Amino acid sequence: MAPYHPSLRAPARRLNMKKLTAVFLACATSLLAACGQGDDPAPQASAPAARKIVVGLDDNFPPMGFRDENNQLVGFDIDMAREAARRMGIEVEFKPIDWSAKEAELNGKRVDALWNGLTITEERKKNIAFTAPYMANHQIILVAQASPVQNKADLAGRVVGAQDGSSAVDAIKKDAQVAASLKELKLFGDNVTALMDLSAGRLDAVVVDEVVGRYLASKRAGQYRVLDENFGTEDYGVGLRKDDTELLAKLDQTLDAMKQDGTAARIAQQWFGADIIK
Amino acid sequence: MDYVISLLGPMAQGAKTTLTLFFVTFALAVPLGLLLALARISHWRLLSQLVNGYIWLMRGTPLMLQMLFIYFALPFVPVVGVRLPDFPAAIVAFTLNYAAYFAEIFRAGILSVDRGQYEGSKVLGMSYLQTLRRIVLPQMVQRVLPPMSNETITLVKDTSLIYVLALNDILRTARGIVQRDFTTTPFLVAAAFYLFMTLLLTWLFQHMEKRYAKYDQ
Repeated sequence: MAPYHPSLRAPARRLNMKKLTAVFLACATSLLAACGQGDDPAPQASAPAARKIVVGLDDNFPPMGFRDENNQLVGFDIDMAREAARRMGIEVEFKPIDWSAKEAELNGKRVDALWNGLTITEERKKNIAFTAPYMANHQIILVAQASPVQNKADLAGRVVGAQDGSSAVDAIKKDAQVAASLKELKLFGDNVTALMDLSAGRLDAVVVDEVVGRYLASKRAGQYRVLDENFGTEDYGVGLRKDDTELLAKLDQTLDAMKQDGTAARIAQQWFGADIIK
Repeated sequence: MDYVISLLGPMAQGAKTTLTLFFVTFALAVPLGLLLALARISHWRLLSQLVNGYIWLMRGTPLMLQMLFIYFALPFVPVVGVRLPDFPAAIVAFTLNYAAYFAEIFRAGILSVDRGQYEGSKVLGMSYLQTLRRIVLPQMVQRVLPPMSNETITLVKDTSLIYVLALNDILRTARGIVQRDFTTTPFLVAAAFYLFMTLLLTWLFQHMEKRYAKYDQ
C-alpha cells in the first residue's frame, strides 16, 4: 500500500461498509431470484416415489438424443423414455448434462436416470444401478475411405481417437494387446471432433458406438469406411441410483412390456430403420 | 444460405443464455468489485488482507474449476452447503470471479487520483464518502474504461465456459448442431454472433471514453 494512501488519513466519517454490503446483498439476491424465474427453471431431481423423473442426457448424441431444427430434444432414447414414463404414469423431464460428469449428476440427485446410449460396464456398475439391457451396440472402427488400415492389427503404431468418457475408451483398453500397440489414444470432447480430426489426417482411426458412428458416417457418405473387426459388443441400459430400487423394478417391468408388445421395435425402426432392440 | 438462416433460431436462443449470463454477471460483479476495491485499500488491515486473500483465490484458480466446485462440490460442504441449480451456480461463480478482477481495476483507478485532491476535499469540508463520490469515483471511471473494456469483452467470451454445466449458450448450441449435421458452418455463425456482441461493446466503451474525455479539456 502506498504510504500516502488516502484511507490512512481519511476523515472520521468513513464509508459505512456494513450498510453498503447489506444493500448489495439485497440487490444480488433479488437479481438472482429474478433470473431463477426464467424460462428454464433448473430441474429438481426427485425422491424415488415422486411423480416425476429427471432424465439426464447428452443432448449432442445423435441419433439417441439431440436437438432438431427447432431446437427440440428428439432421438431414440427420448422416445423410449417418454413412452416408458407414460406407461408408468409419471412425468418425465429431460436435462442436458455434460456426459463426463454423468455420475456426479446422478449421485448428486440432479438427475434421476441416465438414459442416453449408456453402456453397461463392470466399472460403472460400481456406482450405477442398471436396468436390463434394451439394445446391443458394437464399438466400431471408422477409418478414412482410402486408409490402408484393414483390421485391428493394422492399427499398430497409429493414432486412434475416441470420445472422452465413452465406453469406446474402455473397449479399447480391454483389448490390451491392441491398446499397447497404438502410438497414441487421443480423447476428444465429442465424436464429431474426433471424426473431423480423422478427416484432417491427424488420426488414423476413430472408435465409436455403432449407432452414432453409422449416423455420422452417413452424413458424409464416401468419406469413411467401417472395418469388419470391432472392439466388441456391449449392451445399453438405463442407469439409476443404487438406492432407487423401486424405480429400477418399475422401469425394468415397463421396458420389458415395451419389448414384448413391439413398441420398442417400432421406435427402433423409426430411428435406425431396423429393429435392433435386444 | 438457407442452411445458415435455419441455424439462426437455435443460435438466437443460445445467445439469450449467453447475454443473460453476461448482463447479470456484469450487473453484480461491478458493484461487488467496487466494494472489494474499497475494502482492499481500507486502513483496517484485517479487512484488506481478507480481500487480498479472496482476490488471490479467485484469480488463482480457473473459472471453470470454480464453477464445477460450486455446482458439484458445494452441496456436500458442511454448514455452507447449498444446492444451486445450474444457471444460478454459473452466475455465482462468474460474479465472484469477475468481481476479483474488477476490484483490482477499480483499485488502480482509485489510487491514480492524486493525494492532493483528498486534502483539498478535506479543506472544503467533505467527508470521505463525499470525497469518493464527488471527486475520486468520477475520475476513476474515466481511467478504468480501457481496462474495463478489455475485461468486459473477455467476459462475453468466457460465458462459453458454461458448457461444463451443459447449459446451451451460443457455442454449445453450435457444437450441438455440428454434432447433428456434421458440418463446421455453425462455428462460423457462432463467431459472427460473438463478433457482433463485442463490436457493440467496443463501440459503447469508445463512446464512453469520448464522453469522459470532455472533462480533460
